Amino acid sequence: MHFTPKESISFLRYVTPIQMWLAVFLFPFVLLSHQANASEIIILKGKVTDQAGEGLPGVSVQVKGTLRGDLTDAQGNFEISVEQPGDVLVISYVGFVTQEVRTVRQTSFHIKLVPDQKQLNEVVVVGYGTQERKNLIGSISKVDPSDVKQIPAGSFDAQLQGKVAGVQISSNTGVPGESVTVRVRGATSINADNDPLYVVDGVFINSNSLQTVGTGGKATSPIADINPSDIESLEILKDAEATALYGSRGANGVILITTKRGKFNQKARINLNVSQGVAKAAKLWELTTGPEHAQLVNEWWINTGKDTPSLNRNEANRPFRPISEGGRGLPEEQQTYDRLGQVFRTASLKNYDLSVSGGTATTKYYIGGGYNSQESILRPIDFNRASLKFNLDQKISDRVQVGISNTFARTFRNQARAGDGPAGGLLQAALHTPTYLSPYNDNGVLVGRAGFDNVELLLDNYDVKSVSLRYIGNIYAEADILPNLKFRTSWGLDFNNYDENEYWNNLLISGSPDGFATASNGQATTWINEQTLSYRKKFGTKHTFGILVGNTVQSNVMTGTSSTGRGFANNSFKLVSSAATTTGSSNWSKNNLSSFFSRLDYNYDGRYLIDFSIRADGSSSFGADNRWGYFPSVGGAWRVKQEDFLKDVRILSDLKIRASYGVTGNQNGLGSFAALGLWGGGTPYQGAPGIAPQQLANPNLKWERTNQFNVGVDASFFDERIGLEFNVYHKNTSNGLLSIALPATTGFPNYRSNAAEISNKGFELGIRTVNVQGRNFTWNTDFNISRNVNKIERLENPLEYGSRSLILQKEGSPLYSFWVYKQLYVDSQTGNTVYEDVNQDGKITIADRQIMGSIWPKFYGGLNNSFTYKGFDVNAFLSFSYGNKVYNHNKFFGEGGGARDAARIIFASNNDRWQKPGDVTDVPRPDGVNVNNYRDGGSRWLEDGSFIRIRSLTIGYKVPVRKLTALRLYVTGSNLFLITKYTGLDPESSASSAQNEQGIDLGTPPQPRSVQVGINVTL
Amino acid sequence: MKAFKYILATALSVILTSCGNFLEVEPRASISDQQTIIDKASSENALRGAYDALRAYYSVNFQSIGYLSGDNIQWTGSQSQVQEFINHRVNAENSTIASVWSGIYTTINRINHVIDKVPAVKDPLLTDAVRNQMVGEAYFLRALAYFDLVRVWGGVPIITKPTSTPDDNRGIARATQEEIYAQVISDLEKAETLLPATTDRYRATRKTVWALKARYYLYQKNHAKAEEFADKVIADATSYKLLKPFNAFFANDVRGSEESVFELFYSINETNSHRGQWQPQQNGGTRQWAPNDALVELLSDPTIGGTRSALVARDNQNRWYGNLYYRSPGTDPTYVIRIAELYLIRAEARAQLGSITEALADLNIIRERAGIAKSLATKQADILLAIENERRLEFALEPHRWFDLVRTGRAESVLKVTDPNKLLLPIPAEQLLADKALKQNPGY
Repeated sequence: MHFTPKESISFLRYVTPIQMWLAVFLFPFVLLSHQANASEIIILKGKVTDQAGEGLPGVSVQVKGTLRGDLTDAQGNFEISVEQPGDVLVISYVGFVTQEVRTVRQTSFHIKLVPDQKQLNEVVVVGYGTQERKNLIGSISKVDPSDVKQIPAGSFDAQLQGKVAGVQISSNTGVPGESVTVRVRGATSINADNDPLYVVDGVFINSNSLQTVGTGGKATSPIADINPSDIESLEILKDAEATALYGSRGANGVILITTKRGKFNQKARINLNVSQGVAKAAKLWELTTGPEHAQLVNEWWINTGKDTPSLNRNEANRPFRPISEGGRGLPEEQQTYDRLGQVFRTASLKNYDLSVSGGTATTKYYIGGGYNSQESILRPIDFNRASLKFNLDQKISDRVQVGISNTFARTFRNQARAGDGPAGGLLQAALHTPTYLSPYNDNGVLVGRAGFDNVELLLDNYDVKSVSLRYIGNIYAEADILPNLKFRTSWGLDFNNYDENEYWNNLLISGSPDGFATASNGQATTWINEQTLSYRKKFGTKHTFGILVGNTVQSNVMTGTSSTGRGFANNSFKLVSSAATTTGSSNWSKNNLSSFFSRLDYNYDGRYLIDFSIRADGSSSFGADNRWGYFPSVGGAWRVKQEDFLKDVRILSDLKIRASYGVTGNQNGLGSFAALGLWGGGTPYQGAPGIAPQQLANPNLKWERTNQFNVGVDASFFDERIGLEFNVYHKNTSNGLLSIALPATTGFPNYRSNAAEISNKGFELGIRTVNVQGRNFTWNTDFNISRNVNKIERLENPLEYGSRSLILQKEGSPLYSFWVYKQLYVDSQTGNTVYEDVNQDGKITIADRQIMGSIWPKFYGGLNNSFTYKGFDVNAFLSFSYGNKVYNHNKFFGEGGGARDAARIIFASNNDRWQKPGDVTDVPRPDGVNVNNYRDGGSRWLEDGSFIRIRSLTIGYKVPVRKLTALRLYVTGSNLFLITKYTGLDPESSASSAQNEQGIDLGTPPQPRSVQVGINVTL
Repeated sequence: MKAFKYILATALSVILTSCGNFLEVEPRASISDQQTIIDKASSENALRGAYDALRAYYSVNFQSIGYLSGDNIQWTGSQSQVQEFINHRVNAENSTIASVWSGIYTTINRINHVIDKVPAVKDPLLTDAVRNQMVGEAYFLRALAYFDLVRVWGGVPIITKPTSTPDDNRGIARATQEEIYAQVISDLEKAETLLPATTDRYRATRKTVWALKARYYLYQKNHAKAEEFADKVIADATSYKLLKPFNAFFANDVRGSEESVFELFYSINETNSHRGQWQPQQNGGTRQWAPNDALVELLSDPTIGGTRSALVARDNQNRWYGNLYYRSPGTDPTYVIRIAELYLIRAEARAQLGSITEALADLNIIRERAGIAKSLATKQADILLAIENERRLEFALEPHRWFDLVRTGRAESVLKVTDPNKLLLPIPAEQLLADKALKQNPGY
């Protein structure tokens, strides 16, 4: 294989990172090999393979001390001549440790290369290009998703928790494929989105759920349409230097997803991966028995009678008195009915992936198919994804290459309302129904109790299904116009069709009395076109200069139509079309973005690096005067190790100091027409149309601006056996998009403005070490820890969110702070809760509600250890979070002291209530609902959500099989144990997907414990 | 290089076309607020938008304040804010009062747009008669809106101009209760002169104005006027009559019956969610609240409730639920003024004026319709008490009981509301935050 200079340049820019580095690295050898025409004495032949025996193409084989060399062919074979026995061959290849082989008498070789653990030369994907890690100025984390691929979650982002410094990921739920909260260096906005930008092979994809059916505050994740097995690498761009090229979309970080591609000159490689497993809840809630429940209700009844004599409640008329006296029977006569056992199950997990990849001299391809099926531990929810991946690259001339990336997926879900809301709420019905209530009424008919559905009827009749069809594709062409000057153009498309159907028959609350069905279809379409022109040249020996200019044009259109039908002849008819009465509605929005960007970079002698970038974004969402936003950044790095004074410090392998400052923006979640003064339709009366004011104009509406300053140090020691990356940052977001509450007298609830200011300050530390690097045994450790301090710097009026206003956004506090009445203690004489009287006015009023912590951890991170011993490999990964709070809203209801009587469950923890003077407990005596002791928003249910979790533990064994290239068997456990003080099931549970209502645990299944076995075969 | 040229040409053409109008995207489901009420059709549309806003605040939330605060309804759900009305400990953070407050002012803004702009519309199709009718309806709706505000909160800010920028209509201090009542009557007078004396049960006419005036004067204790206007409506016996049996005005999916002086229109495309609060789970509701034992007892007593027992029913777990709003989908009308109320207004006004026999006659018309024996009360106080009790059952699930007991000064003795401050509800806390000109009611 030989490269002409032109080929190598066109090749250089747009192939996968590994190959680009390959091309750069080999370039000198290619030139040199043409001159190697010395007299041939001995011909040596050999094959270079990886550890698994797979032939490596394009490996440099050179005779040490000479200019003679060869590159291996597609099968890894080489042929080389040496002048005399005893010459040393130097075999080098990107990503592997360079080996030297003394030739002596041997003429045929089989050389196995060992993977290189060193980081410095790793190629990292950056905005509109790639870079070697050693030359990075910005803060970018690269993740190999393969370690965590087995964690049972629908989307790859859910699997990454704890993997990346500065990226906080909260799973929210145990339902696979539901949305996950991903925050890169905190959150910057109240009303605009805080999700990072996801870019798949250059396409800015939609990450907002298209779900419209109500599942109790939850939403499906569009990221779950992507098969994690198709991902080659993930780069997370964190600081302004890295994200400013994404301008108005960059403020919350950027996640670049590079999918797998083939390699030129590589024979077809077939990979099959099959795994199966089971998942189960690690524990369930502890509930009172029927007699305990009845006892508590009686106690509440009598207590309230004493507190308020006019209620006329006393021992004689207590609810649970003998039936003969007109009561419900004595407490000890009550039955206990288990409902939780009916809804939780041992879920099955299945995953199949098959891929073929390879290439010729001018073509390379990757074809992958996958099928993933995961049941939720909560019946009848499941998640199924069938996906197809097809990537192709073709050189059509010396100077021009074209290619295409395609992701197709069909994601099918059986859905159910796990979260909040009475009608159809699975966990509400199973968890919140008092245990003493029979599922049957007096006539032996199954009935729902306490306002919830009957669990058995619900499980038998649940019928909520959704199908997401997704296409993410990109077609590109690139050309070398001149040496060093490259042009690239690409068109990308993200198309998502989301189809949902619900049918509630007349046995369920939602379908009573005669059936209810909905059908809806939503579509999100983004097309994006971009052009870039890049020039890079080295002047002399020390100056390298690069420039990139480009533009993008993109358009996002969201449409939705939905219909409902009520009144079905019987339960066999399930489509809206067979309903007696139907309704329909539709929506449409569009937002266009036009951008220009440029980056200049300069590298002096590999020691001083500086770059400057700017992006200009024009958005149709803003007022005409503020349509364009400008997002500059500047960054610099000093590779101190390259200086003479450190060159000889052997223990220090590398030392680099980086700094960057820049501006990014945010407009997501704003709404396409937020700046306009509008009147809407949809206010009919008597069947004729009506119009009404909808929103007030704000022609000044503009981008949120996030200024970010980052300082970082990268260091490695002992031949890169220890690598360190440390970053300190300060992000300040101004012009924060906010719905400002207007006095109602204006006739409008709010209007959109740029009125908030939010800061995030923090640090990130990543350490990776190669603890043991032996022939048979290796042990590597990765550790990261991050701290982010979030603060609302400016907000005129506090904003309340969540059930019972549990969350308060207030100036001076972090976003998502919990707003509660602080329970000091339970008075051991009276049994009453004593709350902190903040304003000391002698009574507990709303003015005594205070902020006690937030959802933000003080620290979070992960620890990964991987071991290999001969054919065995072990990977143990744990993630942790410290100092975050969770509101245990299930317990708020469940520890209600009997006041909700037959309307709610009582948790077993309520048995510890105060009963008589002298009792010391933190659970007060039962009084009324929201009266005093069991007040809405009491701090007793605000709990420490710190945790350490074994996210995954994998043990694998490579079976030596002759005919196969590789065969690996493995077993993976996930969430094997959880250490936490949280008394709910999972401190990551959050009832709502709404951005401002995080950290409230209600009706949410926990992340399951799972075990899977798998086999991976490569041919 | 040929391929490259094509690529470059395509790319450049995209760059060039990306300028221009690309960044101008117009909504399709909305229109600019610069061109709203411009002709007859848009005037009508805007007026319908005002009726729609009235429905939005009135049908569930406003009505619930009226009946929950009385002594007929118990709370069975999980939202303790509902209980706050029942036990008369409403917090300023209560979400129902917040949504009613903002809902009423949203309605007023829509009305103000009509009152402000329709008179200036130049459209040959918009005759004076039609124009007057539309503006008259708007005045009526505004009178109703302020009447509802003053009944719940006392004095509130008076807003009579439409809002077009975020700086309009804010920072306005609360007017006094008297000023609000003056605003109500002023709007009613205007409506009365502008509206024709036709019969329309879903829209305001001059007759609807009379009915509301009768209620207004009863609240003002101007009993002569109350009697006079109640009389005017009752006199139109061809349009308005008490239907028999009692449930004839709501059962069997009836709407727009002769019982109705003013009701809010609903249909399968404009549904009323009120049923969801009342109906039990077996009928697809939440039974968030339900008739309490005392009310069930009264209604079930054939000598007291009579045929009004049709207002309650039992579910498959033997629990009672209110059945005035029962249709699926929710097409139940909302009854704002029924002719029964005018009989009881006239009875009360006459009793107060000393016309005992006439008062008794009016009361007994209602009792007779309910299928119960005539009242034989003779003393003024007894008749007034009989009227009070009759209203409790006649409007058991309609929003009268609380306002009645407050206006008659009987809330303390009947409902045990000992703190007179609690007779007015608190201004929503969020409003006090948003507008410093607002001051809280005493006692909150």
